[in-house]
Amino acid sequence: MTAIVADLQAPAAAEQPKRWRMVRTMVRKKVAMAALAVIVVFYAAGIFAPVIVAVTPLPGPNEQPRPLTIELRNAGPSSDHLLGTDALGRDLLSRILYAARTTILFTFVVVVTGGLFIGLGLGLLAGYRGGWIDTLIMRIGEVLAGVPTLILMLAITAAFRSRITQFSFDLGDNTFLSTEDARAAVQFLILVGASVPFAWVGSSRIVRSVVLSIREQAYVQAAESMGASTRRILFRHVLPGVMPLWVVGVSGGMGAIAMAEVSLSFLGLGITPPTASFGTLISDGAGPLTFKNNPHLLLAPAIPVILFYLAWNLLGDALVDILEPRSTTHR
Amino acid sequence: MSNKTLTLMMGLVAFLILAVGAVFLVVALGGSGDDDSQPADGSTQKTPGASGTSTGSTAKICESKVLIVPGDEPLAPFDPILVGDESTAAYIVEIFGGLVTLDRNLKVVPDIAESWTVSPDGLVYTFKLRGNALFHDNTRVTANDFKYSLERAADPANASPTVKAYLGRIKGLEDKLSGKATDVSGVKVVDAQTLEITLAKPEPVFIQELTYPVAFVVKQSQIEQDPRNWTRKPIGTGPFKIVEFSPAEKIRLVRNDRYHLGAPLLEEVVFELGGGSISTRYQNDEIHIGFVPALNLKDIEDGKSDLSKEYVPVPQMAVSYITLNPNQAPFDDLKVRQALAMSVDKASINDVLLYGYYRVADGILPPDMPGYKESVSGFKYDIDAAKKLLSESKYAGNFPRIILTYGGSGGNSPETLVAIQDGWTQLGLDVQLQAVDSAALLREQRRGTFQALSEGWIADYPDPGNFIEKLFGSDSPLNYTKYQNADVDRLIERASAEPDDAKRADLYTQAEQLILNDAVTIPMFWPVEHTLIKSCVVNYPSVSMAIPKYRYIDIDPTK
Amino acid sequence: MGSGVLGYTLRRVLWAVPVLFVISVMVFYMLRLAPNDPVDAILGRNAYQEDVANRLREKYGYDDPIYVQYWKYMKNLAQGDLGLSTQHQDFTAGEVIWPKIWTSTQLNMFALVIVFGLGIPVGVYAALARGTFLDPLAIGGWLLLDAIPTFVMAPILIWLFATQLGVVGLTWEGPYSTNAILPILIISLPGVAGVARLMRASVISVIGEDYVRTARAKGLKESTVIITHITRNALLPMVTVIGLSLPGLTSGSLFVELFFGIPGIGRESLAAATTPDYDVILAIVLFGSVLFVGANILVDVLYGFIDPRVRIGAGRGG
Repeated sequence: MTAIVADLQAPAAAEQPKRWRMVRTMVRKKVAMAALAVIVVFYAAGIFAPVIVAVTPLPGPNEQPRPLTIELRNAGPSSDHLLGTDALGRDLLSRILYAARTTILFTFVVVVTGGLFIGLGLGLLAGYRGGWIDTLIMRIGEVLAGVPTLILMLAITAAFRSRITQFSFDLGDNTFLSTEDARAAVQFLILVGASVPFAWVGSSRIVRSVVLSIREQAYVQAAESMGASTRRILFRHVLPGVMPLWVVGVSGGMGAIAMAEVSLSFLGLGITPPTASFGTLISDGAGPLTFKNNPHLLLAPAIPVILFYLAWNLLGDALVDILEPRSTTHR
Repeated sequence: MSNKTLTLMMGLVAFLILAVGAVFLVVALGGSGDDDSQPADGSTQKTPGASGTSTGSTAKICESKVLIVPGDEPLAPFDPILVGDESTAAYIVEIFGGLVTLDRNLKVVPDIAESWTVSPDGLVYTFKLRGNALFHDNTRVTANDFKYSLERAADPANASPTVKAYLGRIKGLEDKLSGKATDVSGVKVVDAQTLEITLAKPEPVFIQELTYPVAFVVKQSQIEQDPRNWTRKPIGTGPFKIVEFSPAEKIRLVRNDRYHLGAPLLEEVVFELGGGSISTRYQNDEIHIGFVPALNLKDIEDGKSDLSKEYVPVPQMAVSYITLNPNQAPFDDLKVRQALAMSVDKASINDVLLYGYYRVADGILPPDMPGYKESVSGFKYDIDAAKKLLSESKYAGNFPRIILTYGGSGGNSPETLVAIQDGWTQLGLDVQLQAVDSAALLREQRRGTFQALSEGWIADYPDPGNFIEKLFGSDSPLNYTKYQNADVDRLIERASAEPDDAKRADLYTQAEQLILNDAVTIPMFWPVEHTLIKSCVVNYPSVSMAIPKYRYIDIDPTK
Repeated sequence: MGSGVLGYTLRRVLWAVPVLFVISVMVFYMLRLAPNDPVDAILGRNAYQEDVANRLREKYGYDDPIYVQYWKYMKNLAQGDLGLSTQHQDFTAGEVIWPKIWTSTQLNMFALVIVFGLGIPVGVYAALARGTFLDPLAIGGWLLLDAIPTFVMAPILIWLFATQLGVVGLTWEGPYSTNAILPILIISLPGVAGVARLMRASVISVIGEDYVRTARAKGLKESTVIITHITRNALLPMVTVIGLSLPGLTSGSLFVELFFGIPGIGRESLAAATTPDYDVILAIVLFGSVLFVGANILVDVLYGFIDPRVRIGAGRGG
């Protein structure tokens, strides 16, 4: 239910304020700046995690104290470990930095491999071309959208779980990747393979409907009747109309994609230890009793995830206000 | 925007602020009040709000004779011959019964058989059935019912996975199983009250194997009337009848008032299959049985917690271990296996990672097993000796990658396995952990394709042979690595025919020591179930095996 | 446009048949070709014997070629038989899923009421307060709740209300007990933001319409204007949202069900997917697909009635 609501909130967000616009835009920009700051920090932390670990005294994500004692386990925040330690005495901050890396990689891969680009491309094609292409794309979309995704994602990831190690050894032995990285890469591929087929439908529908409505606009029809080329209409009139919506889709989608990985890893069906992932970090802390005894185990990894998700959604909203071309034309 | 709009808005704001404020107030008050009155272990309820509900419901769950316990989802249908897993067996033994059963001390005692005699050559068992044993539909249990049940178990069409392992020694059973005969010649009905079972070969533990569900009696007329769905409400002879089974939700058993060994004291046992937060539910008096969270174990054991008086440790007749497959490189080299066995620091894993939850296993047989000998011992932790052994190995300098496979559940990191990996990595080996789901784990086990595997074994009946012979005998179907040691086989062969318990146990422990020396298995822990039992629950048998135990239990509201 | 709508509806329904066919074939083959095997899961460790496994494969028909299995499955389905569960061997797939779907549906219906009951007023409020700091504040709080994953919110709320305060129980006593309040809240809270934002946008779009100005000019009470003129008209687009969220009602909330031990379809999906329990997975997928496709057709058709501007079969081809 939330997924559907999320799909639909995009066009609504594109609606324009007509009063108090100045104030609103200012607030919006502040929100956008804050969101952007969170995202930049998150990405910097993830991308530079190895550097941070190398140049600061911060221990590595899989570095265990030796010998391990009960006091060093699940320790709360201290000057040695700013966010405390996990059940194996590993530094939680270090693991969170590497988990951010996992999240960044995963969202990047999904966006690039097409979830949203396919969505945009197919949506444009369907909306502008119409005819049998439209029918085909929409019917395929209907098939995929009609499938309950959760159980299929679970089934796909569960089915390949027992093969992960073999695949990752094959990959690691034949490439420059270490076994650890190869395993993570294979787990990524499985997750991506399970998410992408279902990820494009929503955004392509939205894009298509916007394209349809833009085509109805007087200026587009006028351009068409004046014999403007398809390409010109597409790039001059349609794409600018679709873009803001698509940007909202991408930025809202980033949060959702990241959350999909976190959820599957939480269930043990995504990225598995020792590779750090927010899903496994949260699952280590997610019990009422664990929370009572060691709240840092849940809060430390959960807060970055929440901020990341929130920041992308807010940024998308704010971008709409800034990018929406009609906001100026209609006033 | 008019003034009226603004008024309305301010109203809404006020409402929102009030609502949010109220929530925060509740949180703040509840939180702080509770923290102050919490004992150090944080395990009991003392807040005003909490104690109100908790006294109310304590009284409530202790008032009626209905026991509510967390249960496991049964993996097999409620058909005794199809059960091979502990979680289903726990229900089967309450609903059904056989000729003999195990009591609270794990001694074989009469169930439907009143008494039995064994011929001097150990081949013919003659059982005298009691006259008052009834099925749940109040019909008498006769020797014919047993003949039907045993032959049904041996019918290849019924695909019993356990009949061969437990009843395979009965004369003629293999013939029936392979389709060569239509009945089992070794099972004879002498008269309605007398059953005679003849073995093909003497087997001292046969009487113990008869306590296993595959030998239980089932109701012929019910099965024939409803062959497909009879297991929903099976008619058995056990102390309880099943009245409700909602998958993933609950199983309800009610008392069999006419149970021949004395009607149970409880009216009903409810097994909650939902999981969820069992510890919290236990503390909030929603269930009678809970488990000690590892973190709180020390306080509870030391009597520093209010829960100490509800604490009952139940040692499991089980062992967890790492199997090293001698057919896979580099474990075909004895020195590698021994080196790996020496580099697992079990004691500190248990003390630090598991908060002392288990007992470190020196050998395979758990201490509660008859025939356990303290002198049997595996390799001690010695990383230097391990390094030396490795350097003498034929793989020295060129070790293949080692994959340690385990059945992964959920996203929790298997801390114990990470520690084992860590220990082996210290030897300079490339060790990888591989999580697989339970089905894939079974497949790996069966095919023997794994290098190292983390697994465990729970006793089916209290005899050392159940561990030594079933797991390491070279012709046992459960010996997946096809481990073979002629000396071990010889000892097992002698032991399985040895009628004297002490002598048999001695032979098995000799075999155990040989197996440990071969380092095909690294025993890790003997588990303990640290159980919490509400004080109104009396006579809870602290037995870990699947025996009928709920008939002993009572709920006494005065305690 | 009567006959147009009828023809369109008919065409959509006819289209649904191949769509469902493709889904069923796709999922059927995907499950069978995946590298995991339900028979392994049926037989416990000490139980596995090749001949026993083969007999089980025979019983469930796994020894047939996949297209034969599919044909048999479809034949049984035509008679209303969803097949056998391998995970709960005493039960058919239908007996496993229907009660669980019903449990989840009841929970979700409560949640839906809360989502719209909170989301609509919050959205109206935010729209009226548009431009002030109260607008982003009103929506922002709910956005934060939307951003907190269920598996973070659930343990914290369980700790707070059950462990610390002891005011709620965690034993599942059905959807109509006090113990269901917490799970229902956790299901509904994240959804409020979406509805609120939609409603806000919708209100903003009608707020400047002529009839609203006219109503104000007539000197009607502001509350009357807000309720009868603005909110009522702004609610119209919500029909789509409600319609499209209906099939979602029957899908479970996996994490809430896990944390609260609720016997719903989410937990069943996880168990079935990991076992794997072929017939239960298929039953869940097909049921969900039928509902989804149905709801889509319904919404499209309804939309045609409500808003004649939406040209049915836009682009001529569809």
